[in-house]
Amino acid sequence: MAEKKRIYLQPKPVRIWHWLNALGIVTLIVSGAQIRFPEHVSVLGSDYKSVILLHNTAGFVVAISFSIWFFYYTFVARNMHKIYLPSRDDLQSGLLRQAKFYFLTYFLGWQNPHHPTPENKFNPMQKSAYLAIMFVLVPLVSLTGILLTNIEPLRNLILMIGGMKILVGMHFLLACSLCAFLFTHVYLATLGHTPLAYFKPMFNGWEEIEEHEDAVTSH
Amino acid sequence: MIRELTKTSLWLVLLLALLLPVSALAMENEDCLGCHNDSDMVGEELFINAQVFDHTVHAEMGCASCHDNVTEEHPDDGLTPAKAGCLDCHENINEDYAGSVHANNASCGDCHNPHQVRGLTEVSGHDLNQQCAVCHESADMVQQHDEWLPQANLHIAKLPCISCHTESDDYEIVLYIIQKESDKVLGDFELSALDDLQKLGGEKGAQGVIDLNGDDFISLTELRTFHRNPANEDLRLQATLMPSDVSHKIEILEDRYDCSYCHAAGPEAVQTSYVALPTAGGGYQRIDVEKGAVLDALYGTPDFYMMGATRNASMNIIGLLIILGGLVMPIGHGTLRFFTRKNRKH
Ligand code: HEC
Ligand code: HEC
Ligand code: HEC
Ligand code: HEC
Ligand code: HEC
Ligand code: HEC
Ligand code: HEC
Repeated sequence: MAEKKRIYLQPKPVRIWHWLNALGIVTLIVSGAQIRFPEHVSVLGSDYKSVILLHNTAGFVVAISFSIWFFYYTFVARNMHKIYLPSRDDLQSGLLRQAKFYFLTYFLGWQNPHHPTPENKFNPMQKSAYLAIMFVLVPLVSLTGILLTNIEPLRNLILMIGGMKILVGMHFLLACSLCAFLFTHVYLATLGHTPLAYFKPMFNGWEEIEEHEDAVTSH
Repeated sequence: MIRELTKTSLWLVLLLALLLPVSALAMENEDCLGCHNDSDMVGEELFINAQVFDHTVHAEMGCASCHDNVTEEHPDDGLTPAKAGCLDCHENINEDYAGSVHANNASCGDCHNPHQVRGLTEVSGHDLNQQCAVCHESADMVQQHDEWLPQANLHIAKLPCISCHTESDDYEIVLYIIQKESDKVLGDFELSALDDLQKLGGEKGAQGVIDLNGDDFISLTELRTFHRNPANEDLRLQATLMPSDVSHKIEILEDRYDCSYCHAAGPEAVQTSYVALPTAGGGYQRIDVEKGAVLDALYGTPDFYMMGATRNASMNIIGLLIILGGLVMPIGHGTLRFFTRKNRKH
């Protein structure tokens, strides 16, 4: 018999933060595409200047929201390492177990070996992915973006990096990587026991967990 | 065509000069410059820089074609030397000029020194803006344009004012060699002077610094070599966007206001570029650069990037592959998921 259990997984500030980021990043991707390909993309109208201003604003919102996240988990909650750093156990067996689930046992109808709790929200693969996203991609794309909005004052710094072309190249490829992540992220979010199961906690905070008898034996 | 016409007027002037009374002809350019190229003799106010003047097209005509009543006895003859009006010879400018705001605000002499005239291809973007800065101070301009132009400081530093304030059929990218002012790590850069480049170029002269095989053409390979050569560590290429034609109709243009003119033109728009090297007369001389060099991914023109216009095609492809990589999971996994959906029915 499947039994419904509810846990409070995503507190309100986290949800606000998540959706602010989501809105910000989607805006950045769309406006960024229009800025780079103005003759092909005109989703946001034909006013190039407004598109740039929108891109810059969204960029600052995401950069600031990133900083808040970083300071909160590092200095206030002080559990950054617990939530985002894969543990030794995760690296030794957890990653493999999780990969096996996504690419094999999921298709056979087995249960997800990871059971989220507020202290341990992410499975080992999620942890590694978020580590790369939040500690490499987002900071780098933000920093290159900040340089690009202050070219003249920071010119000599840009020259030290290797010039505008390298800076813009990095910004563009990092942004493409974020976009790639976004597709994967949204898709993986549909892998709950129902396609919308993982979306709900991001709206109301609560995740419904199906407790099967075989849940414990599945690994 | 216009140039041809003025050439004809040059000959007319020369002919006229020949017919003038002998006294006025008694002094050649060198004679006049004997005094006027010596500031101890005539003072700063009347000093004419001979080195600069000799390289102008006006030098070919001679001092007397514009100062036609200077006699043997000058400066003791009590006569004030005449000064020709520019429009006597440059009638063709008048149509544009008379229709612009400057007709009542700036005379030819405010923007040009008749003894230092140069064509558009022989001046640096910096010199061009110096002409305007006499009245429109740079800091004020940055402030005024900042009200609507993102990164106005960058645009004002990088673009000649006339790129936005005059019409031209075409625009081209001009690259100037700049060098570090000092050994400081984050030190500022300045336009390289002829001496410095000659020293670096050695036997091949200033041009040898960048035109490695001396064929008066700079290929993409030469640009890349220039940027990668450790000996050029302190050198960079600074780029600017210049109009191909001069117009004296200085005005406010709507398509510059909405940015689309430069930034949304697509990569086809910026194919022509030149490297401008300093010359002995204080001017510049252009050398052709391979078409499309500014579109190169990294080392063609590493410091010049104009959003929307100078994007690189290979970069786009790499970006696309990355994004497609992100679709592998939804599409690949999603398909398998669809076919095995029965396994998950409980
Ligand atoms: C012997 C030195 C000498 C020579 C040669 C000479 N000048 Fe002068 N020139 C002067 C001096 C000194 C003055 C200033 C006269 C004054 O202020 O009364 C002057 C004044 C002038 C001025 C007037 C500047 C003003 O105040 O508007 C012009 C123009 C000029 N010279 C042109 C020429 C030309 C053209 C020649 C050659 C054809 C020439 N000069 C040759 C010494 C010379
Ligand atoms: C294309 C015409 C032209 C030629 C050629 C020319 N001048 Fe002049 N010159 C002028 C004009 C116009 C002025 C007045 C500039 C002003 O008032 O700002 C002038 C001014 C001067 C003055 C006054 C100082 C100054 O700079 O305003 C001197 C001195 C002078 N010229 C000397 C010479 C000498 C010497 C030569 C030849 C080496 C020469 N000019 C060639 C047009 C010419
Ligand atoms: C006696 C005739 C004559 C007078 C007067 C004259 N010019 Fe010229 N100017 C010429 C000729 C000829 C050329 C070369 C053909 C051309 O570029 O139009 C020329 C070229 C120029 C150029 C372009 C230089 C280049 O290298 O292409 C400028 C700028 C210029 N003149 C400005 C002036 C100004 C400003 C005055 C007034 C102070 C003036 N000229 C007076 C005959 C004259
Ligand atoms: C507001 C500044 C300004 C004024 C005023 C001005 N010019 Fe110019 N002029 C320029 C600029 C900028 C150029 C392009 C750079 C250069 O050649 O110096 C130029 C170029 C020229 C050229 C060279 C054109 C070519 O095709 O190479 C001539 C000739 C000329 N001006 C003549 C005049 C005459 C004559 C007047 C007065 C009726 C005048 N200018 C007034 C700014 C001005
Ligand atoms: C001798 C002084 C002087 C010089 C040099 C000068 N300007 Fe001006 N300019 C003025 C004045 C005065 C006005 C009119 C200002 C006003 O009406 O508020 C003006 C107006 C303008 C305007 C406004 C036009 C409009 O339609 O309102 C532009 C743009 C401009 N200048 C550009 C330039 C550029 C570009 C240069 C250099 C090539 C230049 N100016 C050189 C004096 C100058
Ligand atoms: C990127 C294009 C661009 C560049 C570069 C640029 N301008 Fe402008 N400028 C404009 C536009 C567009 C306007 C009209 C702004 C408006 O309507 O508010 C303008 C306005 C002006 C005005 C009139 C200001 C007023 O409020 O009446 C002056 C004067 C002027 N520019 C001078 C200059 C000078 C001098 C330079 C070079 C130092 C320069 N501009 C560089 C695009 C440009
Ligand atoms: C006359 C052409 C021109 C116009 C008009 C123009 N720009 Fe630019 N823009 C440039 C150039 C040139 C650069 C500097 C490229 C470099 O040096 O790397 C630049 C740089 C920039 C940058 C920095 C990023 C980059 O591509 O290097 C931004 C942002 C920008 N422009 C926005 C705008 C906006 C917004 C407008 C309209 C309000 C505008 N520009 C109008 C030519 C123009």
